[in-house]
Amino acid sequence: MAALELSDAHVARLRIWMWLAFCGVLILGLALVPWLSRNISFWFYLMLWMSMASAFNIISGFAGYLPFGYVAFYGIGAYVTAVLVRKLDWPVGLAIPLAGMAGVLLSLIFAKTLKLSGIYFAIVSLALGIICQILISNMPEEITGGSYGINLGGSPEPVHSFYAMLAVLAATLATSTWVARSRLGTALKAIRDDGEAADALGVDVPRVRLYAWMLAALFPSLCGAVEAWYTNVVDSTTAFDTLITAKTVIYATMGGLGTVSGPVVGAAILVGIDDLIWQHFPVANLFLLGLVVVLLIQFMPRGVVGTLLRRKPQLRRYLM
Amino acid sequence: MSTLLILQGFAYGVIVGAVYALLGCSLNVLYGVLRVVNFAHGEFIIAGTFVSYVLFNALHLHPLAALPIAAVSFFAAGWCLYYLLVPRLRTADDPELSSFLMMYGISLMAAATMLGLFGADARNISYTFQPIAVRLGPVFLPTARLVALALSIIIGGALAWFFYRTLPGKALRAAIMNPEAIQIVGVDINRLSALAFGLAAGLAGATGVLVGLVFPAFTPFSGPDYTLIGFIVIVLGGLGHPVGALLGGVLFGLAEQMSTVFMPQALSPIVGFALLIGVIFLKPSGLMGRVQLR
Repeated sequence: MAALELSDAHVARLRIWMWLAFCGVLILGLALVPWLSRNISFWFYLMLWMSMASAFNIISGFAGYLPFGYVAFYGIGAYVTAVLVRKLDWPVGLAIPLAGMAGVLLSLIFAKTLKLSGIYFAIVSLALGIICQILISNMPEEITGGSYGINLGGSPEPVHSFYAMLAVLAATLATSTWVARSRLGTALKAIRDDGEAADALGVDVPRVRLYAWMLAALFPSLCGAVEAWYTNVVDSTTAFDTLITAKTVIYATMGGLGTVSGPVVGAAILVGIDDLIWQHFPVANLFLLGLVVVLLIQFMPRGVVGTLLRRKPQLRRYLM
Repeated sequence: MSTLLILQGFAYGVIVGAVYALLGCSLNVLYGVLRVVNFAHGEFIIAGTFVSYVLFNALHLHPLAALPIAAVSFFAAGWCLYYLLVPRLRTADDPELSSFLMMYGISLMAAATMLGLFGADARNISYTFQPIAVRLGPVFLPTARLVALALSIIIGGALAWFFYRTLPGKALRAAIMNPEAIQIVGVDINRLSALAFGLAAGLAGATGVLVGLVFPAFTPFSGPDYTLIGFIVIVLGGLGHPVGALLGGVLFGLAEQMSTVFMPQALSPIVGFALLIGVIFLKPSGLMGRVQLR
C-alpha cells in the first residue's frame, strides 16, 4: 500500500515536471523567435490565442461555464490601454497592468450572472459582451474615439510587445497549472460535476466560482491590452468581435477543455491551420473555419488531448 | 407631436414584435424538443429573405408567393440537416453547449456561402404594395408592414392549431415536457426530432420572407443580429416555451421601437438588453418558464 502511494506521488511529480519542462522549452523557443523568424506576427498571435484559450479553460474547462461574451474582457483591456496611453499620456508599462485590473473589475460587475447555468449563462454573457461594445462605441468621441476607435500614437514596437505577450503567456500557463493542482481547481471540478454535493462537503461555491471567473477575466484583458500596443490601434468592431470569443472557445475545445495542456495544443494546431487557410483560400476562410468547428464537434467533442486520455487512460500519467 | 410619435412607436412595436415572436417560436421548438440552441437561426432567416429576393428579381414572384416556397424548401432542408448533424451530438459530454458551438460553425458556413453568392452589399426587395401606406386613426402605417403583421398572426394561429389540435403537434409538446416518457409510449423520437428541426427551419424561412417586408435592408452578415434578438426573446419568455416566445417577442419589439422614440437610434438596442438583464435577475426562468439555478 505504502509502495503504491509512493509511486502515485512519484507519477504525479513526473507528470508535472514533464509539463513544466514542455512549457519551459516552449517559452524559451518563443523567446528566440525575434532572432530566428521574420514573421513575428504569426508567433505573436499564436501566443495570444494560447493564452486566451488557457485562461478560458479555467472558467470553462474547470468550472463548466460557457461565457460567449468572453471578448468583453479582451475589448476592455484594449480600450483601457488605448485611452490611458493616448488620452492621458501614461507609459504603456503602467497602462497594461491597469487594463488587466479593469478586466477583473468588469468580471466583478458581471459576477451575479454566475448563478445562471448552462445555456442561460452563455446567452446572457453574449448579450453583456454586445452591450459593452454598444456602450463604448457610443461614448463621447473625446474619450473612446467613437466608431473610428483610437490610434495609440507612438511608434510601433513589435519586439517589445512580443515579449510582453510572452510574459502574459507565461503567466497564464503558470496560473492554469497552479489552478489545476490547487484546492481551487479541485473545488471547481467538484462544483462543475455536482454543485450540491460540493456545497454539502463544505466548498464555498460562490467564492470559488468568483475566483475562477476573476482569473479567467484577467488574462484576456492583458491579451487585449498587449494586442492594442502591438497593432497600435483599437476600434470597437474588432476589439469586441464575437469571432474572438468563438476562436477562443474553438481553440480550447480543439485541444480539450478541462486539461491543462489541451488549450495550448489546440491553439497551436488551429492557429497553424487558420494561417494556412488564410494563405491559400483567403475568400473561403470563414466557410472553412465553420466547417472545422462542425467537424470538431461531430467527431472529436473532447478535443485532441481529451480524446487521447479517453482512448489511452494510461497516458494520464504523463499528460496534464 | 409626441402622442403621435408614441402611437406610431407602439404600432411599429407590435408589428416588429410579431415578427420577433415568430423568430423566437422556431428557436424554442428546436430548443424544447432537441436541446439544440440554434446559433445559425439568423442565417436561416436571412437565407429565407434571399430566397424571396431571388424569386422576386428572377421570376417577378410576389413576396407572398415566395413565403410558402421558402417555408417548404426550408422544411425539407431542416429535415435533412437533422440527420446530418444532430444524432452524433448525443455522445458529447454536454450536448447543449456542444450544439451551441456546432451551430455557430454552421452560421459561419451559411454566412460565407451567402457572401459568396450575393456579395456584401446591402439589398432590399423593391416590391411596393398598393396603396403604399394605410391610415389608421392618426397614424400612417406602411402596407408591407401591415401585411407582415397579418401573416405573422396567421402563422402564429396555424402553429397554435398544430400544437394543440393535431397529433404530431401534441407529440412535439409532449417531447418538450418529457423526452424520455414519450419514447416509452411508442413515439419514434428520431422522426419527431427531424420534424421539429424541419418545422423550425421552415418557420425560419417564412420569417425571413416577413423580415424582407418589415426591415429596410439585409446583407449576408445580418444573421447574427436576428440570432441575438431570437435569443433575447426566448430568454425573456422562458426557454423552450412556445407561448412564452410570443410574449417575449412582442415585449421586446415594443421596448425596442418605443425606445427609438425617446432615445438616439444607436442606443436603442441597449433597452432590449437592459430588459433582458432585468428579467434574468428578477425572474431567471423567464416570464413563463422554469429553470434550474446553480
